[in-house]
Amino acid sequence: MSLDLQQVLPQVELLGQEAARRAAEVAARLPQASRWLDEAARLDPAELRRRLANAPATSQPALPTDERIDRRFPLPPHPTRLRLMAADGSQIYPDRHAPAFFYMLNIGSVAMVHGSGQPPQVHTRSSLHYQEEEVHDSRGLPIDTLVNAQRDAAEIAELARLAAEGEEVETPMLALLDNGLLLWAASQEQRATRPDVQKVLGEVLAALDRLHASGAALAGYISRPRGANVVALAEAAGGASPGALRGLTDRALFGSRLDPGARSARFLHPADLNQTFAERGHAIQFFYLHTGAQDGVARVEVPAWVGDDPQRLAMVHAGIVEQCRITGIPYPLVRAHELALVGQNDRRALDDLVRAALVRQGLTALASQKAQTKRWTARRRRHRL
Amino acid sequence: MSGAQRSDPADGGRLIGRVTRCNIKGYAGGIRLTEPDLPTFGGLCRAAAQGGRSQVIGLIYEISIEDDDLARQLAASDVPQTEVRLDQQFVRPIPIEILALSVGYHDGNGYRYDLPPQPPTTLADIYSLTPEEVRAFTASLDFLPLVIAAPQLPTDSLLAAMFRQAALARPEPDQRAFLVEAGRACARLLAGDLARLHNLVRSLQG
Repeated sequence: MSLDLQQVLPQVELLGQEAARRAAEVAARLPQASRWLDEAARLDPAELRRRLANAPATSQPALPTDERIDRRFPLPPHPTRLRLMAADGSQIYPDRHAPAFFYMLNIGSVAMVHGSGQPPQVHTRSSLHYQEEEVHDSRGLPIDTLVNAQRDAAEIAELARLAAEGEEVETPMLALLDNGLLLWAASQEQRATRPDVQKVLGEVLAALDRLHASGAALAGYISRPRGANVVALAEAAGGASPGALRGLTDRALFGSRLDPGARSARFLHPADLNQTFAERGHAIQFFYLHTGAQDGVARVEVPAWVGDDPQRLAMVHAGIVEQCRITGIPYPLVRAHELALVGQNDRRALDDLVRAALVRQGLTALASQKAQTKRWTARRRRHRL
Repeated sequence: MSGAQRSDPADGGRLIGRVTRCNIKGYAGGIRLTEPDLPTFGGLCRAAAQGGRSQVIGLIYEISIEDDDLARQLAASDVPQTEVRLDQQFVRPIPIEILALSVGYHDGNGYRYDLPPQPPTTLADIYSLTPEEVRAFTASLDFLPLVIAAPQLPTDSLLAAMFRQAALARPEPDQRAFLVEAGRACARLLAGDLARLHNLVRSLQG
């Protein structure tokens, strides 16, 4: 065993103590944050906007919508029938030490009609990307985090496809993603405005157009969110010095304010990238929802055409809570994740296929020396004497 | 991986497992399958041995559904929706293990009704026999002593299940004749154990 547990044991003990100290500190800040949020709700909207505009850019305070920011909404009734769709993805990143340079996306999706008594339909879509222009970006560099963006785009496109299939039927539709709705990689690299990122962004926005047109409601579900946009709003509105509520998350704040099944008010996502989404009619809003499950409060992101539509919003609210009753997070997301997962065995089988294809073409199919040595040392073997 | 039906490209036999452990007398295999694709008790299967030069014929005597965290969570849930239950039962591949008794092998020239020279290799694909293969293998019942002699197996029920499936692999007019012939073969082998014979015949009639 290369990890010396004896060495880290004292540090693990200190880690526990530090976590307890931080938790106590954060808990002490909670009543103040809650008070500031309630006070902010009583401010004149123009004054609230002024205070938020003066907040440090790095704090990213949430922006209010038409709902009063301290409002809580009880669980609405669930529709008798609801077509639920979920998509999730996984990937194999390009590896310069592998015999061939490629990446793979694997998208799992589920469509089921709650109340139909019918089994769900499941799909797994795998795609291998190996063309020069696929594995290198516009600067000629190997793509890396852009694979995540490609996966996100493929997930939303799959939801749009499922929604189009359900358009003919007179059943309300709810499409779920296991993530926020702003493209992660794009939000990281937006400043670079790279054409590759813009291209993927274009695909995401086009899929959102199709979802909107299909009549479906769309929601991104974030389990155990770590964001603090609403805490930042409370801090800025309360006139506190930046960092007064450091360490406090929106999840902790709403954990103390929401009853099981209830949701918070909607807020506008403060990320710069949201402007691009808003220009296409897909401004991203979010709210917090007490799912009633073990993890308690989740963050739910919706496009404005869902947030501003009471019927679609109620469908998102009731649909997510109902599905969380089964598995803690929405059941269709659990299944989509399972379908998308690329296990070690799958990975090995794919590597074998690639190696065989290279050999058939008369090419050397060796992994790099570094990859080989890692494989030798990573596999532990029990020797029996 | 999706639960799409997987077949042997050679002749359409259905993939029902991959060998996880084996010996000369039998083999175990595991896989994830959906409920409609599960193999059946008394079914015949084959797995490659000797670098593909032989196929070990197995008689499936145990099928177990392995532990699964999600299924356990759902079983404990107080709100099992119909759609979720149907998903688990018919759509989601479940981890299964099958145990098969070696009842013969194919050496490339024909079936041999004896223990194979070598067991299948680890991770060898296990395919169910096609109706054609079932007819060919059960054209002779010389493998019956291997089943009857197997210790601690429900051999009477196992044989009855196998005979019924082998009969169904035949054209309808031949089915009764096959069952009668199978009954006679068992009568010869179990002549000294009338209680077992009676049990077997009763199972066959049921």
